[in-house]
Amino acid sequence: MSRRTRVAIPIVLGALAALAVEIFDPEGPWLVLVLLGAAIALGELLELRPAGRAPLPLSYAFIVVLVRAGTPSQVLATAGAALAIAFVLRPEATLWRRCYTTAVRTAAVIAALVTYTVVMERVSIADERWLVLLALVAAGAAEIAASDLLTALSARHSAFATQGRTADLAIIASGALMAISLDGIGDRDGMGLWGPTLFAIPLLAAWFAFEQVAAIRRTHDQTIAALSVVPELAGLVRTGHAERVAALSERLGAELGFEHEQIAVLRSAALLHHLGHLCLDDDAERERPVEPWEVATKGAEILRQTEELTPAAAILDGSDTSVASHILRVASAYDELSEGDPSKRDAAIEALHLGPGYVYDVRVLAALERA
Amino acid sequence: MSATTVTHHFDRLTTFILVLTGATVALGLSLALGAPMPAVAQVAVFAALFALAENQVAVLPNRASASASFMLAMAAIVAFQQDGPALAALMVGLAGGLYWPHIRSGDWRKILFNASNFALSSCAAAVVFSPLVGHTGARASTVLLLASLPAALAFSVVNLVLLAVVVSLATATTFGETLRELRPRFVQILPFALLGVFMGRLYLDYGAIVIPLFVVPILVARQAFASYLALKDSHQATVRILIGALEAKDQYTAGHAERVADYAVMIGREMRFTTPRLERLRFAALMHDVGKLVVPNHLLNKPGKLTAEEFDIVRRHEAVSVEILTRIDFLKPVAPSATSEAHRMSEGADDADRPIEPFIVAVADAYDAMTSTRSYRKALPQEIAFEELRKNAGKQFHPKVVEALIASIERAGARHGAGFEEQPHAFAVEPPTVGTGSAGLGDLADARSAPAPHAEAAP
Repeated sequence: MSRRTRVAIPIVLGALAALAVEIFDPEGPWLVLVLLGAAIALGELLELRPAGRAPLPLSYAFIVVLVRAGTPSQVLATAGAALAIAFVLRPEATLWRRCYTTAVRTAAVIAALVTYTVVMERVSIADERWLVLLALVAAGAAEIAASDLLTALSARHSAFATQGRTADLAIIASGALMAISLDGIGDRDGMGLWGPTLFAIPLLAAWFAFEQVAAIRRTHDQTIAALSVVPELAGLVRTGHAERVAALSERLGAELGFEHEQIAVLRSAALLHHLGHLCLDDDAERERPVEPWEVATKGAEILRQTEELTPAAAILDGSDTSVASHILRVASAYDELSEGDPSKRDAAIEALHLGPGYVYDVRVLAALERA
Repeated sequence: MSATTVTHHFDRLTTFILVLTGATVALGLSLALGAPMPAVAQVAVFAALFALAENQVAVLPNRASASASFMLAMAAIVAFQQDGPALAALMVGLAGGLYWPHIRSGDWRKILFNASNFALSSCAAAVVFSPLVGHTGARASTVLLLASLPAALAFSVVNLVLLAVVVSLATATTFGETLRELRPRFVQILPFALLGVFMGRLYLDYGAIVIPLFVVPILVARQAFASYLALKDSHQATVRILIGALEAKDQYTAGHAERVADYAVMIGREMRFTTPRLERLRFAALMHDVGKLVVPNHLLNKPGKLTAEEFDIVRRHEAVSVEILTRIDFLKPVAPSATSEAHRMSEGADDADRPIEPFIVAVADAYDAMTSTRSYRKALPQEIAFEELRKNAGKQFHPKVVEALIASIERAGARHGAGFEEQPHAFAVEPPTVGTGSAGLGDLADARSAPAPHAEAAP
């Protein structure tokens, strides 16, 4: 199923259900609930993806609206139906992942519902407007907290990451705004369905902007990875060398406590560490074979011309004084020695240990044995 | 432009801005004397937000600044519906002059003009809006939404007319031309008008607490969009510099990729590509020859003809280019631009399955190859290059693309080729002045006409 089809299905289903409600039961509360259900199902497919944070579905904003708009049983019925539709439409490949995500979302709905109810019943604030706003914001925060904790159990994102939290703010603020604009509070009328419809626009704009960011990041990573295979296609190094060295460098970096950003720089340096070879290779008058240091120096010279890859250049030519240069040296030598064959691992590690200590750092070698 | 005309323009422009400012002040005073006064502190909140929105102008797409700040003017009109909406709108609009770059450079004419323009157009919106919502107390959603349409129209008409007057006074363009160029703004404004009306409505009910709820998602979207623009710039710069640096291994074709990218974008513009499509085209054109990096220098720059064996090695670079391009999802749809297959002309309709981009890159590539000096021949004059492209249009090149390139170059009055090269190289062996070829890969013309056994073997 293409993404477009998946997004169209909740919209069409929502429209049909709304039409049915208008015909058969125009007086009941179901029109709003059906439309919110459709919005939740759709919102499940549209996620805010800031860097360094687990993706945050737009449905969380609509769940806050639903919690305010319906009775607890209506909330559970509507959210349940929406999540069931979303279960079928989810892009996740395995059944297990779909079940897991659906369980996380269910927990989020319950967290929002319980928090909202508890605040409304237990907290006493004279002005009802402030009470409702507090309950809505608390419900939004609670569902995101529940979802983050559960997601962190199975993913590499930490539940306590500080990056990308502005997305949380956008969800919570929009949820509260849509909720109060739908029905109003106390004697202040709402604006009906116009309210959530219009106040969803900034949220959709944020989603679109985050999608653009993710797309350009992906293109960028793919560009670096694509350039990394040029030396392989030119027959200068073994096929897959760049990718294997990059993967091993990432593992070693993580093992030695590197931050997310440092690992990204290390990965770029590892992918492009043979790039300089392309510019050295075929000097017709060359009398001796190309030395590794020449490749590294030439590569660093090229990368340093760009602002973005300057840190990677420092890793290549060793002017980076952290252990990163040593990681890359060990990872590259290891791949040369093991010839990309896992069964030659022990022999390769032994050969590295025999190398001079100032070339192969002992900390990195220790990490290599653990990795 | 002579010195006298500059002074002349300056005078008329200054006079107009001063008259406009005077009119704004007079209108404000008469409104303040004749109608109820809105609470100044509350108006100041909206004015501050209006100034904030104006200062975000740099990062928004399509210069949508007027729309974002108009949202706040509409909010103020609704929020102060009971006590002087016209005056409130005027006061909020005045804050539109507070654009930091203008303040820093002390450009008082721009400050005065923007303040008066936003004040008068916001006021116009209020004058249209208020009678329409009348005594409904500004609460019924449908009435509010319907009334915001003519209000948005009034705002954009006044705003655009004043802007067009100033632009036509300050530059050589006429009033009509400026107006036509600015016209599409009305469509952008509408959703912001609706949002602004609802924001004002919520403000009436709940006070200033709704402002952060409303502003936060917009700021988050803006921040994400700004980081997208920054990332995009950094990515483009990185690719351009890397390709340039790698290409420099062959000093004779240095700058080729970037020139091809420039020609490709010129063709794309001529064919009215959208901005995202132009960006992809530029990127693909920059990368189109990346496979050349696997070809040894001495073959790339061999004077004279290549042997069949050497030709085979050189031909491999096209397959490598495709291999590299298909690894980037964004470029996959236009990846065939590196194959000889793409050079062969067919009907070449431009659709999703057969995009025209490969043909564009092929023409741009051939044009740059012909107008640059290579090891095997000197640069050809521009006229000969045009002639060569036209002669092969429909066979080697796509006719529409060829005409687009020529039209674009002629309109710009640009000159390339013999005598106009930017940095012609000194060659050890002086290249001959005859013959045409493609892509700097040795003189392939002979290999083509007398097919070598391997010539068509590459995928």
